Amino acid sequence: MSNAYLAAIRSPSAAAPVAVINEDWLAVLLGLLIFVLALAALVHVDLIGWVVTTSVWSSFGNALGTTSKGYAALGGIGALIATYVALTLALSAAAAALKSDVKRFALAFTAVFWIAYASWVLGNYANFAAVTQAEQQKFGISWSLKLTSEGAYIFALVAGLIIANFLPRFAEAIKDAVRPDLYIKVAIVILGGFFAVTAAGRLSLASSLILRGVAAIVEAYLIYWAVVYFVARKWFGFSREWAAPLASGISICGVAAAIATGGAIRARPVVPVLVSSLVLIFAVIEVLVLPFFSQIFLAHEPLVAGAWMGLAVKTDGAAVAAGGITESLILAKNAAEGIRYQPGWILGTAATIKVFIDIFIGIWAFVLGYIWTTHINVTADADRARLKEIWQRFPKFIIGFVVTFLVGLYLALGTPADIAKNVPAAIGEANTFRVIFFILTFFSIGVLSNFKALWRQGFGKLAAVYLVSLFGFVVWVGLLISWLFFSGITPPLAG
Amino acid sequence: MPQSNIRADLDEELRNAPVEPLLPIEKKLIVWSLSIGLALLVVLGAINHLFPATP
Repeated sequence: MSNAYLAAIRSPSAAAPVAVINEDWLAVLLGLLIFVLALAALVHVDLIGWVVTTSVWSSFGNALGTTSKGYAALGGIGALIATYVALTLALSAAAAALKSDVKRFALAFTAVFWIAYASWVLGNYANFAAVTQAEQQKFGISWSLKLTSEGAYIFALVAGLIIANFLPRFAEAIKDAVRPDLYIKVAIVILGGFFAVTAAGRLSLASSLILRGVAAIVEAYLIYWAVVYFVARKWFGFSREWAAPLASGISICGVAAAIATGGAIRARPVVPVLVSSLVLIFAVIEVLVLPFFSQIFLAHEPLVAGAWMGLAVKTDGAAVAAGGITESLILAKNAAEGIRYQPGWILGTAATIKVFIDIFIGIWAFVLGYIWTTHINVTADADRARLKEIWQRFPKFIIGFVVTFLVGLYLALGTPADIAKNVPAAIGEANTFRVIFFILTFFSIGVLSNFKALWRQGFGKLAAVYLVSLFGFVVWVGLLISWLFFSGITPPLAG
Repeated sequence: MPQSNIRADLDEELRNAPVEPLLPIEKKLIVWSLSIGLALLVVLGAINHLFPATP
């Protein structure tokens, strides 16, 4: 590979300023800020009840509203504008901390927010989202695609895909605010509190799911990685430098794993960067297919479906959001059969699996780094893999998830009844922001997914190994492992 | 750098990369990882069966 190419990817401008905080810690701060503001409702101070929420609609006037009735006077459009202003201010401050161009970010975010949210509102149109006959009667419609409310994430994803593939100059213009990793990390921090409220009612079931999640991901690491690495090396003839990040990207957790492995084995920066672009494109295909596949074949094994999304769909954003869509589709199908499961368990299972996978990335990268630097490309002592790299590669936003989970659990179970009874509503307000960050994530993933990349010269072989490994092995072994550990367990019934 | 050059570089690298046979340490990594994974699959599967989730 030419030196010029490497230089183009490797070296940021010499004048590029150094960020004061990294994206992980920023996500923790933003997520915790929203969580803490929401908790003010416990002492009857409603600080974020103005955030916009969308209902399934047939008349646009009924589409938007405020999360809290206390702010109803604001109206739906007022709530939308207030949400836009608040997010623009908070995220522009985040962009400043990351030493990005704040003005460019704010302009780009304006486009990202309005297009993404418009897609979400469109996806909530009754003919797309209404599920039951009762809902169809309520909206006066004779047919519906029954995609559910969360199916509207797909609309945001498709809007992003259209921009990426048909309006590349516009995609380039808004790229400063196309940050799926930041958005999903903030969402996952908030999700910790939401999952705590869900788990509080059935703590023993939640503990069982968490232990099964650990077992499932240990299996995934050990079996997935070895097979994909073997396939890449033996069948496709990739060098070690390409095969290791490819195996981690395909088998573990997409972008983060490819980058961690590339760093650990001291690969050139170009390798994980190119693998990452493939990971995103295939994650889009998975999100468009697997939740609907789950609804058809796993409706009566809801937690198998949730675990499967966590194990099979690569990248945090796509996997957790796929868990959300899967939950919505499966709950709707069961509701149509008269079975009403509590929401939150399928999404919680997918998110928990993904969080454990992320935690283990650093450990696995260290193991690979140790083997590479001491046995394969033996390096000087100073460049050998060191234990502290595990902490350096630890995804810090998981600390935020754990904090909001534990605080949420304490508030729901350890406080007097008059406080505990307000916890679900308070965390529900934060959860509205979580939904908005999911929308932004989906849209951003779409904008980054230029399918023309698949046809680029040289990408064909990378795409082939990805396709064979993902759809020929990873997806099905993930299903088998999910079935083994989660079959027969169902979420509690609602009410 | 122009996109076309980047593509040509990647294509050239992947096409002309010398074959690297699997080293004994790589084989060991694959075999150990798979063996531990499959053994744990049986053990954890059995534990899962013996101690079902509490609803």
